[in-house]
Amino acid sequence: MTEDLKSYLNKQMATVDNLHAIAITDRDGVVIIKVANQMAPDTALRQAFLSVFGIMTEQASKMGMGNNSKIINFYDRFQTVQINAHPLLLHFIADRDANTGLILELEHALADVLQDISKVVTMIAQVRRQADADLFPGDNTINHCIRSRFIY
Amino acid sequence: MLKPRALSDVLSQANTGGIGSTLLLNSEGSLLAFSGFGDKDASAAGAIASNIWTSFQKSGQLSLDDSKLDCVLVECKLGKIAITKVANLLLCLCSSENVSFGMLKTKITAMSTYLEEPLSQIASS
Repeated sequence: MTEDLKSYLNKQMATVDNLHAIAITDRDGVVIIKVANQMAPDTALRQAFLSVFGIMTEQASKMGMGNNSKIINFYDRFQTVQINAHPLLLHFIADRDANTGLILELEHALADVLQDISKVVTMIAQVRRQADADLFPGDNTINHCIRSRFIY
Repeated sequence: MLKPRALSDVLSQANTGGIGSTLLLNSEGSLLAFSGFGDKDASAAGAIASNIWTSFQKSGQLSLDDSKLDCVLVECKLGKIAITKVANLLLCLCSSENVSFGMLKTKITAMSTYLEEPLSQIASS
């Protein structure tokens, strides 16, 4: 299953020149699946970098322009296109001169993949909540949130 | 000497074709000059834009082979924002959602090129 998904992502990545990496993470920047070629910096596919978008998309949603959906960064050598596909985040890392429009179009090509992963993520969250409720009956929501953050 | 009126007039030239407001911020995110329509709280938007810029600049330096951040484009449900650096200040363009990213980036690049030299002189004095 994962191999099929990776080969599909690799195929999509090859459709855009100078696109070096695609990563799908949760909102904390934890990598669910990623594909990359040798040109992508290793550090750009770690949680420390990917989690910044998770925080910034929440900040950008408070600018009085509604919920944030995308942030595109142009650096002197790279560009990053990051998309908020709640509850997942989609990250593209490309050369500065890569076609940004084509990268943005990949969101539509990956819509089905994102939907499938979202279902799994939501299902796992529900199972964990149920298991927690069984272990700690009568527990309030705040304690549940604190515990689920540190235990899981 | 900085003429605030002249600066606002220059910023207002970008406010066409769906661009609602143009902001000039210092490195701490405080509003230096503003031109735009509507009664939105520009200082709050400016502070958030500055925070977004600083965070991505730092993370890019650490994780993208010491890359320097040139431009940030943000898309929200009801509008788009472009942020770039001019001298030691930040320039921010806020537009409606139907302005395309290409036009937004071209406008902010043109505006920053125009303002770079005079604002650099003020920064160095």
